[in-house]
Amino acid sequence: MTVNEQMPLDPDVQPKAGGPSARARRSWAATLGLDRFSGLYVWAALILLFALWVPHLFLTATNFRIIAGSQAITAMVALGLIVPVACGAFDLSIGGTLGMGVCIVVWFQANHHGFILGIFAALAFGLLVGLVNAFVVVVLHVDSFIATLGMGSILSAGTTWVTGGFQVANGISPHFTAIGQKQVLGLPLPVYYMVILAIILWWLLEYTPAGRYLYSVGGNPQAARLAGIRVGRITTSAFVICGVVAAFAGVMLAAELGSSSPDVGVPYLLPAFTAVFLGATQILPGRVNVLGTLIAIFLLATGVKGLQLAGAPGYINDLFNGVALIIAVALAVRFTQRKKA
Amino acid sequence: MTAALTVTNMSKSFAGPRVLDSVSLSVEPGEIRALVGENGSGKSTLIKILAGFHVPDEGSAEVAGESLHLGHGEASEALGLRFVHQDLGLVNTLDSVDNIALGVGYPSFRGRIRWRQERKRAREALADLGYDFDIRRPAGSLAMSERTALAVARALAPRQTPAKVLILDEPTANLPAAEAQRLFQLTRRVAESGMAVMFVSHHFDEVFGLAQSVTVLRDGKHVITRPVAGLNEDQLIELVIGRQLEQVTHDAKAAERRDVVLQVSGLDCDVLNNVDMVVHAGEIVGIAGITGSGRDEVATALFGGTDRSGEVTINGAAVPKLRPDRSMAMGMGLVPAERHANAAFMQSTLRENITVVGTGLHWRNGFLRKGRERSDVAVWLERLDVRPRNSEFAMSDLSGGNQQKVVLARWLRMGPKVLILNEPTQGVDVGAKSDIHKLVDEAAADGTAVLVISTDHEELVRLCHRVLVLRRGKIADEISGGRMDHDLITAATIGRDRAGAA
Repeated sequence: MTVNEQMPLDPDVQPKAGGPSARARRSWAATLGLDRFSGLYVWAALILLFALWVPHLFLTATNFRIIAGSQAITAMVALGLIVPVACGAFDLSIGGTLGMGVCIVVWFQANHHGFILGIFAALAFGLLVGLVNAFVVVVLHVDSFIATLGMGSILSAGTTWVTGGFQVANGISPHFTAIGQKQVLGLPLPVYYMVILAIILWWLLEYTPAGRYLYSVGGNPQAARLAGIRVGRITTSAFVICGVVAAFAGVMLAAELGSSSPDVGVPYLLPAFTAVFLGATQILPGRVNVLGTLIAIFLLATGVKGLQLAGAPGYINDLFNGVALIIAVALAVRFTQRKKA
Repeated sequence: MTAALTVTNMSKSFAGPRVLDSVSLSVEPGEIRALVGENGSGKSTLIKILAGFHVPDEGSAEVAGESLHLGHGEASEALGLRFVHQDLGLVNTLDSVDNIALGVGYPSFRGRIRWRQERKRAREALADLGYDFDIRRPAGSLAMSERTALAVARALAPRQTPAKVLILDEPTANLPAAEAQRLFQLTRRVAESGMAVMFVSHHFDEVFGLAQSVTVLRDGKHVITRPVAGLNEDQLIELVIGRQLEQVTHDAKAAERRDVVLQVSGLDCDVLNNVDMVVHAGEIVGIAGITGSGRDEVATALFGGTDRSGEVTINGAAVPKLRPDRSMAMGMGLVPAERHANAAFMQSTLRENITVVGTGLHWRNGFLRKGRERSDVAVWLERLDVRPRNSEFAMSDLSGGNQQKVVLARWLRMGPKVLILNEPTQGVDVGAKSDIHKLVDEAAADGTAVLVISTDHEELVRLCHRVLVLRRGKIADEISGGRMDHDLITAATIGRDRAGAA
């Protein structure tokens, strides 16, 4: 589901779009890149603002490292989420899948099965979650919002069951934590995994027929079906990819933390959605996409970190994310509406 | 006795020619009047004026002697006019009681709704119309004639003023024959109670089977009002189309028979009942029929978009049902009706809209080659004269005609063996329409078997080698050669077998 799509398509207005005035406005905005790269402008402005405001705290290598490192997991979850959202489905179970990923990989080590097996078990579980979500949505025709909301709740229960409700930290292999904590060129490894994941998904969405089909299904499922696209199969793949990516992010989180605890995944759900929808206003406006999502994540993280360094209270994180999302999407909708009028 | 409804010198134009030109008519209490005419003859406009939906340019109306304040829906209702529109206006998820209440509220409401009273009232209202079904079922699960009865019950439900005139807009358009008979009985009961009934109809069997008198409109003008007695179908068709059917001028395009490409036998789905057809290579076959004849269901059923039974083969190979992807792989293409809902990706570029079919053609070594897609698409935009000719524009930037060309390009690019077009020029301007017709001709000349489904009968005459006419789910007629004429097709769709056969 894309941001623009939520506006009614008015058949009377449609044909007039693209008249001379719209063209003029488009070229004006396009010259500045305001329609596609506004996020980069805002990001630069934020960096400039905090560089002037709190230079001794903000403009440090450590700070940039912290911002990059702290967002790697969120970014991975958000990247995975792009796939189902591109084909018009929500996956609200990503937080739960991530949490189960953490718990499974830790459980395997706590019970002396080794972390390699644990990683594969976690990824297999993510795949299973994707398949079950797809079954409920595609075969049982339950709305994806409801289906994955239910699944998220079930997985939340699962994390408590696996961990027994307590933090588990025994038996963790140092080789395992190295995956999440080792630094290369000053950045923790998960940042690199995230970049690799982003490249793979960028390729999938932009340079394969499957990616094209995903967006087609999201744009108009009925038209996609009548163009010979197997909508059910595409939707299933989307849920499976999302589930596996969320479980992978869980494995990375476990390696970072070196422990597991119930409900560790829940706080990742809303930021991932925020980033995906905010990202849909960037690079390929009106369409959820990989680069836009990454820009959104780091823009938000920069803003939050800067405000925190400037002395803002702890709740600024959620507040800033929420306000930024609403304003950005409202502006994008307004821009598209004006283009059509 | 005062007439139940009198219309005097009613005229209306919408930015251009008059769609209603000084029409006068009157209907007596207890009379059943049919209102007939071709599409665009002004029937719907007249009814919408009476319903208060349009304000007429001139003219007046009286209901049982009282002058009607035109342009206000409440005024029509207050004087006793009651309407059942073609789509019935029922909410499918609500039951009968709630649907009736949509029109009149809950009369038992005194602080709370007394459901038992409401159900009794609804059951009695339906019984008066000769219907007895479970009123707790949601409207969507009822048979079509039951739904119609429910809509009539709602229209006739008691209000401040008694109902004096019931106006039905194509009440049997969606009804199978047996259910239509039940509706006839219902209508007679209403008339026997002293109300005037006026119904719009395309079915001549219902004009002759039900109405006592008929009013014919043509090009917005009143042609005649006369009793049905003494009138035969030929005469009525002449009154409707304004000339005799024998004056056929066109000859169908000469068909050069080649191999059979598309063969359909025993096609059943929804309304369609045991339909057989054959389309040869290079042949353009048309399908005509009124709403509810099954015309609209043919395209998606053949392509696999909706369920069907019966056999569909392309060059002898069976096409599985419900598998649009298989149909496509076997060389079938479908340009569906209602572009916005069924074909266009409004937020996507023209390039993506065209290459959504055959995306893999430009996929090499794991990458979609967008440069090649662009040049490929540019060729098609050029060939179909799409404006603006920029493959990276969004579909929503284009006019309706250009959007339709893009959807057509999607399939022409694949060089299909069978091309099915449902309302190919729906909502398309005149220039684009003639371009699209040329493209269809060219596709056929290249050996594609083309099936054109259309309510635009002149389009069928322009394009087709022969036209199959559907009536109540069956092929009732085949028009070709010297009989190819749009009036003849119209006549055949509304119910005369072997129209014009000399």
